Amino acid sequence: MSDKPRYGMVIDTRHCVGCQTCTVSCKISNEVPGNAQWNHMESLDGDVLYQSTGTFPATTLAFRPMLCNHCEDPACAHNCPTGAMHKDEETGVVLVDQGVCIGCGYCEWTCPYGAPSMDDVNHVMSKCTFCIDRVKEGIEPFCVASCPANARIFGDLNDPESEVSKLLRANHGQQYKPEAGTSPNVYYI
Amino acid sequence: MKEETSGVVAGVPEYFMRDGVMNRRTFIKGVGFITVASAVGFGATGGQALASKGEAPAGEGETTVHAVCTVNCTSRCHLQGTVRDGKLIRVEPGDMPGRPGYANACLRSMSYIQRVQDENERVMYPMRRTGERGSGEFERISWDEAIDEIAAKLNDVISRDPKAASFYSFTGDLGKMSWEASTRYAACIGATTWDIEGIMGDHGASMGMTMVFGTHRGAHDSRDYMNSNLLLVWGRNVADTHTSELRDYVAARKNGCKVIVIDPRQCSTAAMADEWIPINPQTDPALALGMMNWIIQHDLHAKDKLVEESVAPYLIREDDGTYLRMQDGHVVASTGGIVNAGGEIGTAPAAEGEAGEGAGTYVLWDELTNAAVAAPDAAAIKSGAVQPALSGTFTVDGVECRTAFDHLVDSCSEYTIERTAEITGIPAETVERLAREYIEAQPAGIRMGQGMQRVYHSYSPFRTVATLAMVAGYIGVLGGGASHAGGTATNKPVAGYTGSVYNYDDWSNTGKKANLISSSLIYQAAVDHDPVPVEFLWIANSNFINMSPNSNYIINTVLPAIDYIVTVDPWWTWTAKYSDMVLPATTYWEHWDLIDRSPWAMFNQPSIAPLGESKSDTEIMTLLAKKTGVGQYWDKTDEEWIRQFVGTEHPAWENLDWDRDVVGQGIYGRDDGIFDSAIVYENGEGYKTDTGKFEFYTESMLEFDDEVPTWKPPCEDPREGELAEKYPLVFIQYHDRLNVHTQHILNPALTLVQDEPLLQINPVDAEARGIAHGDVVHVFNDRGEMKIRAFLTEGIIPGTVATQSGWTPDYFIEGCYQNLTHLTLCDAEEAYSMTNAAFYDVLVEIEKA
Repeated sequence: MSDKPRYGMVIDTRHCVGCQTCTVSCKISNEVPGNAQWNHMESLDGDVLYQSTGTFPATTLAFRPMLCNHCEDPACAHNCPTGAMHKDEETGVVLVDQGVCIGCGYCEWTCPYGAPSMDDVNHVMSKCTFCIDRVKEGIEPFCVASCPANARIFGDLNDPESEVSKLLRANHGQQYKPEAGTSPNVYYI
Repeated sequence: MKEETSGVVAGVPEYFMRDGVMNRRTFIKGVGFITVASAVGFGATGGQALASKGEAPAGEGETTVHAVCTVNCTSRCHLQGTVRDGKLIRVEPGDMPGRPGYANACLRSMSYIQRVQDENERVMYPMRRTGERGSGEFERISWDEAIDEIAAKLNDVISRDPKAASFYSFTGDLGKMSWEASTRYAACIGATTWDIEGIMGDHGASMGMTMVFGTHRGAHDSRDYMNSNLLLVWGRNVADTHTSELRDYVAARKNGCKVIVIDPRQCSTAAMADEWIPINPQTDPALALGMMNWIIQHDLHAKDKLVEESVAPYLIREDDGTYLRMQDGHVVASTGGIVNAGGEIGTAPAAEGEAGEGAGTYVLWDELTNAAVAAPDAAAIKSGAVQPALSGTFTVDGVECRTAFDHLVDSCSEYTIERTAEITGIPAETVERLAREYIEAQPAGIRMGQGMQRVYHSYSPFRTVATLAMVAGYIGVLGGGASHAGGTATNKPVAGYTGSVYNYDDWSNTGKKANLISSSLIYQAAVDHDPVPVEFLWIANSNFINMSPNSNYIINTVLPAIDYIVTVDPWWTWTAKYSDMVLPATTYWEHWDLIDRSPWAMFNQPSIAPLGESKSDTEIMTLLAKKTGVGQYWDKTDEEWIRQFVGTEHPAWENLDWDRDVVGQGIYGRDDGIFDSAIVYENGEGYKTDTGKFEFYTESMLEFDDEVPTWKPPCEDPREGELAEKYPLVFIQYHDRLNVHTQHILNPALTLVQDEPLLQINPVDAEARGIAHGDVVHVFNDRGEMKIRAFLTEGIIPGTVATQSGWTPDYFIEGCYQNLTHLTLCDAEEAYSMTNAAFYDVLVEIEKA
């Protein structure tokens, strides 16, 4: 077990109902400005959100909540010309230093998950922080605390006894787009 | 999340302190409160769990505030807010003492603060109409001017006939004072008020429940589904409409409970379920009857439970269909039960039936003695003292009789698997499998939703589905039930409580009484002055036009027949624009109020300054009372009322500390509260029907051929007839993630989810009309029309289209969904109590616009 945490999230899509309480909770609680948003929702198995997949009556309705994957090898940071986008040494989460960011948008283009979101009020990039200030206080991220289906679990992937680690072992959680090679820390069941 | 900590008394409320870790406050008799730190500490190095759902500490310059959400989804969630510089910036789930893991706040309540604090959305000042009604032209006036003008109009009406003044309070704010202030005022002057459930479209559930159980509501705590092997979520989109319950469904499913959703739409709840069974709207009773028939035909029905706890063995006279009644060993005339409830099963809890009134006169056939005997209670039958015949024909005192169960069997027998499939649109093999899975689950729970009862003969769905649960033996058993309720009120305050926990003496003292009338009659009252004229209408807590059927008729016929209309609302609603005076109301973040329907007392208080010159409903009625001669009943400030309500000597408040609990936490877990999971009708007890039993045979429905559960075709039937040819599609509305009713339109952050109303339509129906995904379509019938974008999805049953309820006309390309709906009085419902608006019993046609 590493000394440092590797924060990650497991999202159980079997119980996600697509309500987007996560999306709105994040937007409101983190006071995400303008049109920026750090969470969004996609259909898990189809093209159009909220459209059922398949042919009536053999259909599915399932969702993939999206947020920053806080990758081990983040494309956004690698492609940032100023170093604003970086992996925080202490916590391992991917953050943007808005004082350094020039708003070029390379990170948004190169992220396989479309996670960085332009703050069109301050004209700098903004993104999900895993609510790291809350986490340091011992409190779950807003999106996790607000999920009415308890579909989001947050914790330390380096700790084999953490709930996220146990869930992953028991359910074969999968990364989304692992082929992008960024080693994401968000897993889906 | 229960932390085992030594010295903690089991079952007492848990509290989460705001220092970032979870603590437990407990009470030890004779000592007082102690705080036991049960460390769920967490370091940046990981290794320990985070404080789940714990309330976060307030940041620098920020204040933590609390409220209870009082909009009418009935979840009544406790909210934690954060205020900075006098503005609410954040809303999070607020902790629920005694029930860890139950903290909830939905996306609507979180984003609501944006709308609450938007001066452009709010009514800021008293406004007097200057243009035509509906023009939106108003002038700002002072409170004094507004109240003087209203009082002058009102005093004039009162001097002639107080009943010609109407006070219509709906469900925009269910806080006790906000909800009741205007109707309490009406009582003070003897004016008319309206029993709102009918026009709301929720009353079918209440009628159906009252028929069989004797009370409008009754539910298993949603945690009870941990005991279930199967859960049927029937016409209930809990994932969007009662999000506070969803966690328990998820936990049950993880525990191995299969979850099946029965709904015309693959609703959000279906996304977490094992199976979605699409059903034609308006046909749920037919499915329940078909399942009952299959269960009975396979001799799998719960015979013991039926004879012990239901009217199944009760004898029914062959000559007139009434219950056989005996006194002193002789048959007597059956008239008592024919007298219907006469509109008394309204929304007030006090209107609930009396348990077992006249129960001793009902008769069953005892197989031990081969004689008719007075029907005993469940306990006596369980003891074996009598052995009631479930089926059979008997002659008693010269009167030929059959058992009520045989009548039910007759009614079910029409619903073969094939006929059930034909009516419901569910494949025959699925109907049969569902019936088998349901009876084999042992136990299976049913959670009913109001989605299935916005139909003509609206009492039938809840009545029939509940009867299915009784036939299967699942009423009153752990993991079973046929439940109707939602939110925090599902928790029972205290079993058998009769004392005065709250002091409502002064609030209930109004001198006179209001003239309560069925809301199903409000249109005819306005237009025909029957049963009362409506010269003056006070609308509170209601976007009346937007939430009532047939909005064109309201605007063109109903409202013009009313001389003077006052609307009290926080928002510039469609209804406000058709009013003569609009008064600015506060929201639940701005005024004092109380929610008392659970083991928790939850409080609202001014967490931010009221916007503009807005006032609480109670403050407004207090102003009006002083100008209309009833000021003596309105002698307190809002805070003084609340202090009086909870200022009793009842043990519920033994440890209440106003500053700590009311002001600091906004919630108090009553000292006598029951916080554990509870079920209803355990051991056959608690039925409040006249028979004291589960009563599927309803004497008062004899004249409508509906004495036992049946299925009747809808008012606007898509199966046959001219109307079906002209308008072949069934149009339903549903409550989705964005809206409870109209008050969340369109909280800015919700635009991330959806920013316009959409019409869900199956591709089969769309292609037949040349409609593609995203096309603007014209939806119409004889009453009205709307233009709206089509959302094609395979997740809706063909032949039915659906749009989200609650959107206001501003967001439709043209028209509004409420133009298409209707209020058609139903004789059987009017006789029983009142008509339930059949919002989902509507036919339309659609064309590409």
